[in-house]
Amino acid sequence: MADLNTLISELESLPTLPSTSSRLVAMLGDRDVDMGEVSDIVRIDESLSLAVLRYANSVAYGTPGREFNLRESIIRLGSDALLKIVLQQQVGQVVTRSCKAFDMSREAMWRNAIGGAVAAENLARQHYPDDRDICFVAGLLRDVGKLVLDQKYGESYAESVSKYLTPETTFVDAERMAFGTDHAEVGGALCRHWQLPERISLAVQHHHTPPEPGDRHDMLIDIVHAADIISLWSGLGIGQDGLRYELAPHVKTALSLSRRKAEREIAAMWDAVRSIEETLGMSTGKDERSAA
Amino acid sequence: MTSMTGQVSSGTSPKAHVVGVADYAVLRGPTNEIITHALGSCIGVTIFDPTTHVGGMLHFMLPDSKINNDKASDSPAMFADTGIPLLFKHAYELGAKKENLIVCAAGGAEVLSDGGHFKIGSRNRTVLRKIFWKNNVLLSADDTGGNNSRTLHLSLADGTVTVRNRGKGEVLWPI
Repeated sequence: MADLNTLISELESLPTLPSTSSRLVAMLGDRDVDMGEVSDIVRIDESLSLAVLRYANSVAYGTPGREFNLRESIIRLGSDALLKIVLQQQVGQVVTRSCKAFDMSREAMWRNAIGGAVAAENLARQHYPDDRDICFVAGLLRDVGKLVLDQKYGESYAESVSKYLTPETTFVDAERMAFGTDHAEVGGALCRHWQLPERISLAVQHHHTPPEPGDRHDMLIDIVHAADIISLWSGLGIGQDGLRYELAPHVKTALSLSRRKAEREIAAMWDAVRSIEETLGMSTGKDERSAA
Repeated sequence: MTSMTGQVSSGTSPKAHVVGVADYAVLRGPTNEIITHALGSCIGVTIFDPTTHVGGMLHFMLPDSKINNDKASDSPAMFADTGIPLLFKHAYELGAKKENLIVCAAGGAEVLSDGGHFKIGSRNRTVLRKIFWKNNVLLSADDTGGNNSRTLHLSLADGTVTVRNRGKGEVLWPI
C-alpha cells in the first residue's frame, strides 16, 4: 500500500503550470490590476492571444460589425472573464491528458474538467455569486489527482481498486482500501504543490467528501461536489470509476437540488460545454474514446 | 452538435460513426458501424433493419423536453421524447420498416446514492419504455441500470450490438 507522501514525491515529474498562467492568475486576483501589463503577458502566448480574441469577438461578447484587437479585447472582457479564459486554455492543457488509470481519453478528461467547471459556475451563479470564478476553477481541477495516479500506476490502478469494490462501495472508499489514499486527496496535494489558493486545494481534496455544516464547511466544496455529480449524470467524461459516488444529503439541501432542477442543470451544463468548445475552436468533442 | 442523418455509405471499409452526447445518427449500408461512448445516466438506443441494412443510434441525456422547449427545439436528441421519434423517422426515410426493426438500449446508470431522490437514469429508462409501449415497439435486448459507464456499438453488417462495460465487451444482440 502506497502512502500519500510516496505519491507526492512523484509530483515533481508532472508538468508544472505554464508560467504565463501562474503570472496571470496572480495578477488577475488583484482588483487593481494594470490591464496593459496583462496584455503584455498575454500577447507573448500565441494560443492564449487567439483564445482571448475569439472570446471578445464571439457572439456573447462582441459587437456586430466591430472587431476588437488584443488590447481592446482584454479591456472589454475584464479580469473575471480573462481569468476564466486563462484557466480554461492553459490549466486545461495541463489537466487534459489521457488517463489510462481511469480509462479516459484526453477528450474525456477535457470534458470531465470543463463540465464540472461550468456546472460549478452555474450553481454558484444561484447560490454563491461572488465566488463564481473560484467555483469554476475548483470544478475544473477537481479530478487532477487522477493524472498523478495514472503516472504512478497506469492502467493497473482501476484493476487494483476493483478488487475492493462491492455493490455498496464508493470508488473513493475502494481507492483508499487499495492504496491508502484517493484521487481527490492526491489532487488536493497537487494543487498545493502548484501553490494554488488553499480553498481551491481543499475543494479538490474534499469534492467527494464535503464536510457537513460546521467548522470546516465551505460552500465552495458543496458546489464542486454537486457539480461533480451533475457531470456524472450527464455522462461527460466518465471513466472506469463509473457513477460510483454519492451525493451528500446536506449538499442536496443546501443547494435546494430537486430532480427538476438537476435536469435543468444537466442541460445547461451541456449547452455551456458546447459553447466553450465552439469558442475555443475545438471539434464538437464526439471522441470520448477510452484511453485503453 | 452535429446530427448526422441519412448518411449513406457503400464503401468497402467499415466506418465507425461516433454519436456524441445528445446526438444521433442514421446510416444505410452493411459496411457502416455506429458507436457512442460514456453512457452514464444517459441512454443509447440502437435500431436496425436487417433487410435494408439501415441502422441508427441515439444518445439522449434526459427524459422529458418539457424542462426547456427552446432547448428541445435546438437539440432534440437531448431528450427521450423528442429524440426517439427523430431516430425512427430518419430510419424510415432511409427505407427501414417498423416491423423489421431490432431495437436495443443501454445506459441509464445511477450514482451510488442520491437518497433515492433523483434517479436520473431510472427516469430515462421509464420514459424510454413508456414511449416504446405507446408505439408498439418491443425492446429486443437491453443492458441498463447499475453504476457503470458503458460504450455502445452497432454493426450494420448484421445488426450485432455490443456493450463495453468496465473494460469488458459483451454482445447484447443477437442474444
